[in-house]
Amino acid sequence: KVVHRHRTATDSTRPGNWLDSEWDNPMQFVLACVSYAVGLGNVWRFPYLCQMHGGGGFLIPYMLMLVLLGVPLFYMELAIGQKMRLGSIGAWRAISPYLGGVGMASVVTSMYLCLYYNVINAWSFWYLFHSFQSVLPWAECPVNSNLTGPVEECERATPTQYFFYRETLDISGSIEENGGIHMGQALCLLLAWIIVYLFIVKGVKSTGKVVYFTATFPYLVLIIYLIRGVTLHGAINGVKYMFTPKMEQLAKPTTWINAATQIFFSLGLGFGSLIAFASYNQYNNNFEKQAIVVSMVNSSTSIFASIVTFSIYGFKATFNYESCLERVRLLLLNTFDLAEDTISLENVNHWIAELNRTHPEQFASLGGRLETCDLEAELDTAVEGTGLAFIVYSEAIKNMPVSQLWSVLYFIMLLLLGMGSMLGNVIAVITPLSDLKFISVLSYLVGLVCLFCLLLGLGFTTRSGNYWFTMFNDYGATFSLLFIVLIEVITVCYIYGIKRFEKDVEDMLGHRLNWYWKIMLAGVSPILLIALFIFYIVNYIQGGTPTYQAWNKELGKSVVTEYPPYAQAFIGLLLASSVCCIPLTALYTYCKKRNLASGKRERTVSTVSA
Amino acid sequence: MRCLRMLVRILVLLYLAGAPALAQTLCQPNASNGYRVRISIKTALGNQAYEWNENEMFLFRATMAFAMRRYYKTETYNVDNIIVCNQTRRVSFWFVVISPENPTMLIPKADVEKAVSMSRHRINNAFLLTDRTLEFLGIYPTLAEPVNPDTPPWLIVFGVVIGAVFAGIIALLVSSLLQKRRKEKGMMEDGQDEEDRQMKGVENGINLDGIYNRGFTDDDRFTKL
Repeated sequence: KVVHRHRTATDSTRPGNWLDSEWDNPMQFVLACVSYAVGLGNVWRFPYLCQMHGGGGFLIPYMLMLVLLGVPLFYMELAIGQKMRLGSIGAWRAISPYLGGVGMASVVTSMYLCLYYNVINAWSFWYLFHSFQSVLPWAECPVNSNLTGPVEECERATPTQYFFYRETLDISGSIEENGGIHMGQALCLLLAWIIVYLFIVKGVKSTGKVVYFTATFPYLVLIIYLIRGVTLHGAINGVKYMFTPKMEQLAKPTTWINAATQIFFSLGLGFGSLIAFASYNQYNNNFEKQAIVVSMVNSSTSIFASIVTFSIYGFKATFNYESCLERVRLLLLNTFDLAEDTISLENVNHWIAELNRTHPEQFASLGGRLETCDLEAELDTAVEGTGLAFIVYSEAIKNMPVSQLWSVLYFIMLLLLGMGSMLGNVIAVITPLSDLKFISVLSYLVGLVCLFCLLLGLGFTTRSGNYWFTMFNDYGATFSLLFIVLIEVITVCYIYGIKRFEKDVEDMLGHRLNWYWKIMLAGVSPILLIALFIFYIVNYIQGGTPTYQAWNKELGKSVVTEYPPYAQAFIGLLLASSVCCIPLTALYTYCKKRNLASGKRERTVSTVSA
Repeated sequence: MRCLRMLVRILVLLYLAGAPALAQTLCQPNASNGYRVRISIKTALGNQAYEWNENEMFLFRATMAFAMRRYYKTETYNVDNIIVCNQTRRVSFWFVVISPENPTMLIPKADVEKAVSMSRHRINNAFLLTDRTLEFLGIYPTLAEPVNPDTPPWLIVFGVVIGAVFAGIIALLVSSLLQKRRKEKGMMEDGQDEEDRQMKGVENGINLDGIYNRGFTDDDRFTKL
């Protein structure tokens, strides 16, 4: 029996000028997915979660969620893209005309991401360029105007914080205080967008070659950093701290929820990038194996990066602890006029007890100047996000020997990770737009999108720009993505039908859907997504007024501040603008179909009567 | 006459005996015109630390006299004009400076401070120490003038990178332009040959131009027997 596969309309290669737009080989596709999924979140979010939720024990919910949620949804998105061979808008419209809005919501969310994500790359460029100096600028406080001492703001905070908040961002006191554009930041943002443009201008032909580098080089840097990290003095403290499992954390529901959200966002589901990447595949590409490979690579990179991060943490904590001990030692020597070699770093604590016993009045006069040095407390300072990447890491780097080299390597790695993810984001916007055929020449479309994002992104380089950045980061893509992917899964499994999906996959791969995929996609993943969704809403309502961390220059630290009403309205707008694409498009299609149907009926009536 | 000479001798003896005592009363901890010095040799030099003894103290007094001489631009100051007291095991002590003309008068604090600040670098180097390890409590070291280059170094690196990027853009434009021109020239010259090739292509059943029709290959994959 010979089965002929018949070609349907959706089988055609890309319309318009996109002939010849396919990945040169499947390896480019895999590397593009790896480059997209392995991003800054693997470096700065996963280690934080690991530390907050019980170290080694966190791996259990993480791996479980990967198997239950991550891999099936990744598989589904690749299948859709490869089958429909269109970007997210076209693909979802082809699956179900009423739910073409899902694609539109993906594009809107990707657009928000494009706007603010490249600002991180701008910061990486800024730090990279400043690493080419004999003394790293964040290693020491600058001197004040009358040369008597360091600048007060730097004195109250630390030099690395001062460099980030004052010299890099020139941050204002709150989101209401606007200011001018920081010229250095604007230049770096311009550079970042020009580079993104160059990488995408020829479509997947250029992107396919770039991802060889952006996907592999960060691993080289991570390995170098691993070797450097574990040989640092005190690194073992950090690694031990991370891997000691605290199993009682597994009893808390937040642990499981954070594991699920981390898997979800780390794989980049729902943005339309995976659909876009897969749409350039050959029809019979074996995406099943590739989905598993990319998900595994992404998760192992997270674990690998957290080993590096924790050895750096351990080094930094040990360094601070030993500096604290040195300061206490000097204080004791100076107050009690003892010879220099009586107190060493090891017996500081012994001497504190001894001196308290023998000279109680003099000891009491020390008062608040005597610090307590605690290694655990230093290790406990868990930081995530831009604070980890730009403040904690640079603080650790400045204490390493040959710090300029390590600084350059580190920021190049951050750049590659960020650029790799940026490629996916911009392609997720460009692919559906080019399918809609607004502008026929690809390079003009890419140029227009990049220019648009650059001009709007300049708003993030103003003095209050970092606060808007945090707002976009926290609200622009979190809730809407959950909703989008939930609708996606329900659409594919119940509206399009799991049977039809099964047939399409069999068509492409040649074998039937495994029971694992069927159970996960139709049952487990939707349930988990609904649970996550409900949790998010409950958390948002319970959280009260949304707040942010404002930098106070008098105190030299961040204070929790409430968003003003117009900012809260903007948050609502961010959330609503992507989510309501779905019902609005459904309504629009329904009205159009009804008008068409009633129009046809009228015409048939008229011909009959005529 | 003999009585007078003996009286003078006694007075001289008393004076010689009392002068150091007088000097000692001038130098006291928390003296109004004195400064406290704290030295941390082992912190600065580690294994190569030298022992603090009377000779080192003599060097200190000589260096201070040198600083006073330099400040006032005279040659009247001597080691005897620097009086030290209250030495501790920490290696910290107080010192005062007495005027060479009048041994009972102390040089005011402000002048001593200015003299020390002026020669701080020389004093530090005499002892192989730094501002942090040879402390004059109350005299703050003036920090080094920050070096302000004309072009900030980061701008230079930025210029290099963006220059490379623009070179890349120009190379891209030029190569695509050359490709287009070559294609046009190619099409005009052997347009006839192209058509022949196309005809041949269709005859062989393989479409060289256009869409590769996958419907007619790999049928075996879907064959179920």
